[in-house]
Amino acid sequence: MRSMGRTMAAAVAVLALVGAVAASAGSEEGKPVAFNVGDTQGIDSMNPIVGVTVPAYEAWNIQYATLTDKSPKDFSTIPGLAKSWKGSADGKTWTYTLRPNLKWSDGQPLTSEDIAYTVNRARKEEWLNYTSVVQNLTATAPDPNTVVIHSKVTDPKLPTMDVYILPKHIWEKQDAKAITKYDALDGVGSGPFVLEHFEKGQFARFKANPYYFGGKSPISSVVLRVFDNPDAMVAALKRGEIDAAEDVPGTAFHQLQKDPDIVTVQGNQGAMEEFAINGGAGLKKPHPALLDPRVRQAIAHAIDKQTIVKRVLSGLGTPADTLSVSPDTSWSPKIPDGQRFDFDIAKANQILDQAGYKDTNGDGIREMPGGGRALKFRYGVRSEGDAGEPTAELISGWLRQIGIATTQKVYNDSQLTEVIGKGDYDLFVWGWTPFVDPDPMLSYFTCDQVSQDPKDPTNYYNDANWCDHTYDALYKQQKVERDRAKRMDIVHQMLTRFYDSAVYDVLYTYPDLQAYRKNKFTGWIRQPEGTGPVIFSNTSPTYASLKPVTASATGGDSGDSGGGSGGLIAIIVVAVVVLGGGAFWLMRRRTADERE
Amino acid sequence: MSARYVSGKVLGSLATLLFVIAFNFFLFRVVEGDPVANLFRGRNLSQSQRAALTKQFGLDGSTGEQFVRYVQQTAQFNLGRTYTNNQPVASEIWDKAGPTIALVGVSTLLSTIFGVMLGIAAAWRRRTKTDYAVTSFTMTTYAMPDFWLGMLLLTAFAVELGWFPVGGIVDPNSDATGLAKVADQAKHMFLPALTLTLAYLGEYALVMRSSLLETMREDYLVLARAKGLRDALVRKRHAVPNALLPVITLISINFGFVLSGAIAVEAIFSWPGLGLATYDALQGPDLPMLQGLFLVFSAAVIAANLFADLLYGYLDPRVRTS
Repeated sequence: MRSMGRTMAAAVAVLALVGAVAASAGSEEGKPVAFNVGDTQGIDSMNPIVGVTVPAYEAWNIQYATLTDKSPKDFSTIPGLAKSWKGSADGKTWTYTLRPNLKWSDGQPLTSEDIAYTVNRARKEEWLNYTSVVQNLTATAPDPNTVVIHSKVTDPKLPTMDVYILPKHIWEKQDAKAITKYDALDGVGSGPFVLEHFEKGQFARFKANPYYFGGKSPISSVVLRVFDNPDAMVAALKRGEIDAAEDVPGTAFHQLQKDPDIVTVQGNQGAMEEFAINGGAGLKKPHPALLDPRVRQAIAHAIDKQTIVKRVLSGLGTPADTLSVSPDTSWSPKIPDGQRFDFDIAKANQILDQAGYKDTNGDGIREMPGGGRALKFRYGVRSEGDAGEPTAELISGWLRQIGIATTQKVYNDSQLTEVIGKGDYDLFVWGWTPFVDPDPMLSYFTCDQVSQDPKDPTNYYNDANWCDHTYDALYKQQKVERDRAKRMDIVHQMLTRFYDSAVYDVLYTYPDLQAYRKNKFTGWIRQPEGTGPVIFSNTSPTYASLKPVTASATGGDSGDSGGGSGGLIAIIVVAVVVLGGGAFWLMRRRTADERE
Repeated sequence: MSARYVSGKVLGSLATLLFVIAFNFFLFRVVEGDPVANLFRGRNLSQSQRAALTKQFGLDGSTGEQFVRYVQQTAQFNLGRTYTNNQPVASEIWDKAGPTIALVGVSTLLSTIFGVMLGIAAAWRRRTKTDYAVTSFTMTTYAMPDFWLGMLLLTAFAVELGWFPVGGIVDPNSDATGLAKVADQAKHMFLPALTLTLAYLGEYALVMRSSLLETMREDYLVLARAKGLRDALVRKRHAVPNALLPVITLISINFGFVLSGAIAVEAIFSWPGLGLATYDALQGPDLPMLQGLFLVFSAAVIAANLFADLLYGYLDPRVRTS
């Protein structure tokens, strides 16, 4: 028994020692002011040419300035690296004048050469994240402070130039093939902070850029930290281990709203969830009844968006009508009363009755006019995310009330993309998050984005499988209309038309749920003003504007729970080690004779 | 141990590995869907960009052609590049293997030591308070789901008491090196390691206890006592070594699973290991990453089994002669 006790004592001592070393490492003093942000997703790549995830965009917003910036208020074009610009009469050529004495974070001068280099090389090599902006652009640098950008086509997005400008002296070392594999850990940028340390899947730490044109930040570093467990992230926020959290779970959000030290933010970026009906223009036709606009309209009347928001999102969302094409909600038209498909089961039933869809065999399900095929639709349910299945239950329930049956099949995102591309479905629920400019979202629903190639069905965006030539004509008009008010009017017409077709019923828009600690920093900026998020917004202006509240408040915040008890546990653990060690020594003595 | 016994075992393991390499390719292609479409949804790719990505991902050509390419690559120890960030799969796996080996390795080691000792204590003092205490404790920890235990420990020691950080492997604000860095990592590892140690040790304790109880009924133990040996010596020299055999098999096989990590516990404590990498790779699906991960996991299990076979042959003469 004794020798076993000895091993056990040794093992306890080792474990205790680990604990003691660990606990004693807790209190560090005189730390510079760091701004710690938690998120549930990691940066996949620091390389702005190829990275995909949302935190990667946040990192580039922090590290790289753009030629023009977007106003925190309403996304309008404001000076970035360029302080001013002038357009030619046809709007195709723009001349930008840079701010004086710009420098990269390594002290090298930042000139118009860097800008021309980024734009031209991105176009030539078709850089993934740059193409949509630069594909028609050519840039020249007549002098170090002037950039001229020429577009082959009329482009209403100009003079906005929101691609990340890269330092030529760093990136020119990578050839066309190597550049997509480059890890971009050089830490040379022009934004308020630049990369200092990156641990993939764990955190990225940025230090203040001494040469930032807006002045060096009083905050020494920014940390973007990954939490795979959202509840742990919320706990870290409550303890002060982090200062702000992105993507807070809905349940925790309601609790944090009651916490006096925390500010909660519902940041709207236009993300939406839609109930889509197969419009029938794709590779396969839906159930024939769905080609009848009256059936689609009846279905739209049978969906209670208020209830979905309340039950599925615990109230954290807003019922919507038309497609959300931008975080700037002025791009979405208001559908007048009477024209809207409001929730009204009786009206839905009445539409179907009048259109001749009757339940002729008394099984509770309507049939096609004149009898025949029952109104039984295939509903694709998304397995990813929390909303798919409960939404499907609610909607299927309402459809039963109007004599329509559904057969639900659950798909992961990859499978559902394929099913939609093949047109092999009747209904599904999924979502989009729009860009600031409405063009990309509008482009998805043109006829040439309907799947046409059975061998490559996922190479298209139009997941409504809906084609309308008037919509297409309007799309082309808005794409070259440089007057914002006129363009907005065209966009409103397009969205109203799409809404009336009732193939794509937008259920709700939902916010980014964020929270931050109240007392440590000031200067939080919501983008757009009043409704947007404070971090992870389009251009993330908060980082450059944050300031520590006071010097004394910053040090104590994270120590309130960790520091004091850290000492206590150290004492306890040391005591255990001493006792364990003593016991071990005693046992060795007592069994000495046996060992010899 | 005969050369025939050893070579038979080694060849068997190699054959299994070859089967796994081929099987891996088809396993992940059962999932329908186009990774290019899925990874780049909503990003306005041009036709040529799509074609380039499809080629880069090795998704052009028929399944047969893709398989031949895959086998050729794997034969040259090239596991390909990940879809998500275009980095070599081997280096991605290597980066994440460290944290997993540290966490799961330490936990397996500690749970083995504690589990075996608790098992011995319980068996040797069967039907005493020690036995009842050990058996109920280990049954409880054995039955507890590890993610639940992890959440409890996290809530108690990290959230409420604040003794340990809530997740991660190092303090992102610290530039510590040397001993200070080790201390920081130990602090981060304490809770996940404690969770896994508690979750694993029950199995060892229960197997050790029943194995030792069986051994204790053997005649040679009666003889050993009749010779006048002390109780401790009877246990140490005669009972435990024989009772350890089944536990050694269990330990070797479990060490094979060290690499595959502990998905749930890694997720709860944001521990950047291979378990989490597997979960992330499934989202794409990032086929080369999944293939690489499963190859490494399978190779580890096959190697551990081979080791167990050889060790068993060495320890127990009955195995190698039969």
